[in-house]
Amino acid sequence: MILFYMMIFAFVGAFLIYFAGKSFPRIKEILAVVISFLLFLFVALLYGKDFQINYHNFLGFHLFLRINMFSWLFALTITFLGFLSIIFSLSYMKDKKNNAFYYMNMLFVNIAMLGIVLAGDLISFFIFWEIMSWSTFLLISYKKGSALPASMKYIIMSIIGSLSMLIGILYLYDLTDTTIISQLSHIIRFINKGDVIFVVILFSIAFGIKNAVIPFHNWLPPAHSEAPSPFSAILSGILIKMGVYGFLLLFYVIIGLDIIFHLTGLTIVLNVLAAITIIFPTFLAILQNDAKRLLAWSTVAQAGYIFMGITYGTELSVAGGIFHFLNHAIFKALMFLAVGAIEYRTKGIRDLNSLGGFIKKMPFTFAAMLIGAMGLIGLPLTNGFVSKWLIYKTLILNGSPFLAFAALIGTWGTILYSYKLIHNIFLGQLPAKFENIQKAPFSMKMPMMILSTIIIFFGILPGIPLQFINKIIVSFGYHPLNVSLFGIVSDSGNLNIINILAATFVIGVLIVLFFRSGRKSVRVDQYDNYAAGSFIPKEKYSYTNSFYAPLDRFLNSFLKDYIDIFYCKSAALIRHFCNGIRKIYTGYVGSYVMYILLFLAVLIFVQLNWSVF
Amino acid sequence: MNILLMILSAIISLVTGMFFLGLARKIMAMIHWRYGPPIYQPLIDVIRYFHQRAVSHGFIFDLGIIISLIGSLLVVFFLPLGNISSFSNSGGLLVILYILILSPLGLALSSGESANPNASIGISRKLILTLSYEFVLIIILLSLMSQYQTISLQEIVMLQARKVWSFASWKLILPGIAYLLILPAMLGFRPFEIAGASQEISAGPSVEFGGKYLALNTINHGLLHFITIALFVNLFLGGGDLFGIFDSISGTFWGSFVSLIIFLIKMILIFVISVFINAVFPRLRLEQATKYILYYPLSIAIVGLIIVVAIN
Repeated sequence: MILFYMMIFAFVGAFLIYFAGKSFPRIKEILAVVISFLLFLFVALLYGKDFQINYHNFLGFHLFLRINMFSWLFALTITFLGFLSIIFSLSYMKDKKNNAFYYMNMLFVNIAMLGIVLAGDLISFFIFWEIMSWSTFLLISYKKGSALPASMKYIIMSIIGSLSMLIGILYLYDLTDTTIISQLSHIIRFINKGDVIFVVILFSIAFGIKNAVIPFHNWLPPAHSEAPSPFSAILSGILIKMGVYGFLLLFYVIIGLDIIFHLTGLTIVLNVLAAITIIFPTFLAILQNDAKRLLAWSTVAQAGYIFMGITYGTELSVAGGIFHFLNHAIFKALMFLAVGAIEYRTKGIRDLNSLGGFIKKMPFTFAAMLIGAMGLIGLPLTNGFVSKWLIYKTLILNGSPFLAFAALIGTWGTILYSYKLIHNIFLGQLPAKFENIQKAPFSMKMPMMILSTIIIFFGILPGIPLQFINKIIVSFGYHPLNVSLFGIVSDSGNLNIINILAATFVIGVLIVLFFRSGRKSVRVDQYDNYAAGSFIPKEKYSYTNSFYAPLDRFLNSFLKDYIDIFYCKSAALIRHFCNGIRKIYTGYVGSYVMYILLFLAVLIFVQLNWSVF
Repeated sequence: MNILLMILSAIISLVTGMFFLGLARKIMAMIHWRYGPPIYQPLIDVIRYFHQRAVSHGFIFDLGIIISLIGSLLVVFFLPLGNISSFSNSGGLLVILYILILSPLGLALSSGESANPNASIGISRKLILTLSYEFVLIIILLSLMSQYQTISLQEIVMLQARKVWSFASWKLILPGIAYLLILPAMLGFRPFEIAGASQEISAGPSVEFGGKYLALNTINHGLLHFITIALFVNLFLGGGDLFGIFDSISGTFWGSFVSLIIFLIKMILIFVISVFINAVFPRLRLEQATKYILYYPLSIAIVGLIIVVAIN
């Protein structure tokens, strides 16, 4: 029952924060930090456990909570990032009003996600899924103003997803008479293929919307950029990965390997969708000028990598997909937090065209952002490298070079937008109005420091997380990968990080020594520049505005979010149509009587002609 | 043994890179009907730069250029030079593809901190140009990896020595041609001398580099020439193999020596051709260059990949 008590404790704690926060304002921050840390501790202590409990019976449905390696890894990531972003919120939300509400919802989202990964039956899964959707909606709309349309977009997409999932659950229940996941996985093989495909499609709509797979991605960029930054980190880091969890649960736990990859055409469609989800958002990210929107598009693209990994269906790709989920949660959360720190110090500026030169003022945030970007690109010695390597390798060696091309070119796009983000915020010239910018406060630095350390740690020792992931893919029915502490051994090309690390270290030391042996350089300020003899006007002498101008000109002509435009147009059309229908309510009693008479006349006409009734 | 090989390949690449820079200047001079500097002039320059005063714009300005050089030297260890290879078995071509990113990224960080708009423009151009030729390069590498069914560069070289050079096999000639077409862009030679355009944006990314920064940048430049061409020779011209003539002595010291010499000769041939192209072409604009790369080399490469996939 420990899982059940943990959930009860968390929910009670969340309400306590709200009500205690009303009467004792200081206590709510402390409570939020303590509760989120205790949740993290609980989950961490559950390592290696594998059991399920029946915590409640409701209308004949047996509700279960369960834990195993698969849900443990997700639960740990959720509680860990939740804890860090609540610490980050301490300064970020300090002067905002109604922040008890914020902390309560923040905990709600975390608990709901915890519930999703711990749910042992589909009814609990659905209930927690809905709690997550609604508390997310409240958090996205927290800032009001332009956040409202963004949150409306989110909740409409979410409701469509949940309804489709609900239909899927009921359909499955109708076929199998159970909603318990462990029983479903046995019964599912007796269902015919057509029904399975139908259920997969219904669930895929729900999970695809959460995971922002094209064509269900369009809620994500506005929602991510309008939400408060610590919550954007959660949103991008783990909340959308509930879609990934759902897909893994559906494909590998409920349906199982031997059925899912024999459904004709399904994996091809999903893989092509994943490839599209990698390429287009990457190039759209290059065009963005809002720091958080850029990161949001990047999240869509990276979700594409994860989706590619888990739908490709080899052991390397599934391991790579799960590992990339973990890595992406870490580095994307870090980057959102870094942007949040900038936003906090500049009083809400996220426009990449008006920032610049912050490296001199906020060096720590710069380092965090750089490490995050390196992980995002996937440079060797950061965590993103290993997960992407796994995915690429399996795509190439299993004969899907075009999918591999999508994945690899996505990486180069990633370099372009990551560099734009770093250059336009931290490099280049510091505008005079930012002369007095302060460093980030400690409560912001601490989460960033922890996350940066993990990126490097997992990058050098990928064997540690891969061992957990190995257990997960074994439980899915795959062969384990041959993992060593520093890499992966296989017949068709090994990966060995220790060589790269040693060589980097030795070369680095040698080059630094060589560099220092030269004549000492003189430190100059940002205006002491070589301009080929021309006069240097201050302020205007910066090149952060439209950084990739030639590329923008080239791409802008044809690269738009056509799907979003299509959705918005159809929404407008429906609104127009409904406005038209509303005109029949004239307010005259006479016209209503006329409608009734007309209706009766039609009925009589039908009866006389065809005698239906 | 591995460490000796690493030192050896580092020295070979550094010396060859410097030699390439000198050779380029000499050949250009001869095409212009000048004498030109001696071939070891770049080396003299590097030593001289080291004793000159330089300005620094901050910590990343120093660190970036060091990262850039680390990146270039790391790639060298992953490239088989004839029979010499230090890290043939640590992740293969995918790792090379990734470490190749380090060098431009380090340079971009370094010159980004200098806050010089010319540098920023240069970096922006460099990244866009790289993105466009990377489309082609990735497809070329994917064709090779799909054809040989391995991600290890070492194995690709060995398979070529056993059968036929990729460039001579009809399945892989199209990727080979595409690589040759983007080679000037990868080397930063005219008509693609867009990022480092010296008359237009004062040499772009390296505008603020002086003294030891310029020295490291020059070394890095030479190394990048070396890497780009060595990759081509390894992928398409069979590395250090010469129609199997020296197979009898392979595995011995002399075998390695001969293969290294053959490898270097092949590299020099390719480099000289690239310099000729550099000498006769004017500079394109960025849009023209991207368009060219995305039309011709890309379509050739895609057709090549389709052929490879269709046959397998």
